[in-house]
Amino acid sequence: MPTSTHRPIPVFQIHPAVLPVAVLLGMLLQALLPLKLPLAHLMDFPLLITIYFALIRRDKIYGIALGTVLGLIQDALSHGFIGIDGITKAIVGYLVASASTRFELESLPARTLLTGVFVVFHTLCLTALQHALLEAPPPIQPIAVASGLLVNVALGLILYQILDRFRRPA
Amino acid sequence: MFDPNVVDFIRPVPGLEREGPNMPAIIRRHRSFFTLLAVVAAQVLVLSLQITRNNHVPLIRYWAVAIFDPFERALGGLMEASSHSYQTYRHLWHAEQENQELRVQLVTAQAQIQRLGEQAGESQRLRTLLNFKTQQAFQTTAAEVIASSEDALHAAPGENSNAITAIFIDKGSDSGLSNDLAVITPEGVVGKILAVFPHSSQVLLITDSSSGVGVTLAQSRVQGILKGGTNGSCDLKYVMNEETVGRGEAVVTSGLDQIYPKGLPVGTVISATDGMIYKNITIKPAVDLNRLEMVLVVLKPPPVAEQQALNIPSRPQ
Repeated sequence: MPTSTHRPIPVFQIHPAVLPVAVLLGMLLQALLPLKLPLAHLMDFPLLITIYFALIRRDKIYGIALGTVLGLIQDALSHGFIGIDGITKAIVGYLVASASTRFELESLPARTLLTGVFVVFHTLCLTALQHALLEAPPPIQPIAVASGLLVNVALGLILYQILDRFRRPA
Repeated sequence: MFDPNVVDFIRPVPGLEREGPNMPAIIRRHRSFFTLLAVVAAQVLVLSLQITRNNHVPLIRYWAVAIFDPFERALGGLMEASSHSYQTYRHLWHAEQENQELRVQLVTAQAQIQRLGEQAGESQRLRTLLNFKTQQAFQTTAAEVIASSEDALHAAPGENSNAITAIFIDKGSDSGLSNDLAVITPEGVVGKILAVFPHSSQVLLITDSSSGVGVTLAQSRVQGILKGGTNGSCDLKYVMNEETVGRGEAVVTSGLDQIYPKGLPVGTVISATDGMIYKNITIKPAVDLNRLEMVLVVLKPPPVAEQQALNIPSRPQ
């Protein structure tokens, strides 16, 4: 569970090549998996990568930049408007980095809760943005939101375990 | 590259030392938040260029119109109000100018109407005078009243001292006028010439206390002497109490004074009461002596016998 602490929170370093590789693989999987798995369209690899790297770097600017870049790439590869995912993921990156500087989020329950909260927040933020900007926004589907929550939390826990192998304390 | 023995601690405020010296304190303190705002704003801008509404109108144009439209409306309304006010002021100014011009024109037109009315009245009076002149057997000459005088010295207590008792006419000795010539109008007797000057004459009106006219009551044929009375009226003297004099009876000249031709209207009886021997009869002159403008001067009255021969009416029918 996340706990507010006044103790120093450790910062980790990760190999510079891990981020580009993770982004590349995440984007490829994001594009290819829906062709093979019906539930894969619920997965959001760029979001999970943003959460993870903002969490371990604990830098808000870094979180904003990473979320923006990944969101824009995701928008560019999709058929939607460029910028919607960029905005939502920039906000998520900022908030995750902010939370990571205040709370101890290294434990599995904390990461699970954090991922779940921000997956839902990302979905709500995306929906709110679509409703604010689009003339005919897509309707909110609670089942799809719940399914996406479960799928992405599960995927995130797996992804985090894989990426944790490449990190070292700074 | 990685040192597992080194554990770094969180940086209190990352990047704080990298900011510029001129950056405001609030932005310096919340640099990451403002960075987020800038990134979001930039992407919203990008989105607004792509998203369209209402027949492919770009969202940025839609927003721009939505933002600026109230100001444009307000400015437009202000300009329209200013223009309207200016136009109203201009119109008012022109209306004021036009009003002044019209007032001048109105005054000019009123003066012209008055002048034309005067001329028409004068023309009518002259026509009447001319008709009267041609109908009479005696010779007359027309004269214009040029001045009047009041006899305040002879006014009795309580008498209207402003009553006109003498007038001046624009004909004198150069026109053949002399003293004691009768002055009349188509309405009746005015008076007689008291003094003659080269180019004017003074006329003593019948209302003057020193005036005397030989008259006859038109119905009763009673004769008497008309003298000037009070308040612009005349008194008929020397009519015995036993004579019958009716109110409203006409009084005409008798011609016995050798001044006034016989049968000219003098006035009407307005009151008749018995006195000691003679009646007290008050006569209202036939002519409004305060409004004289044109008169006729009888140059030479014909003798009474001649008047009778000419069948000049001396008794109203």
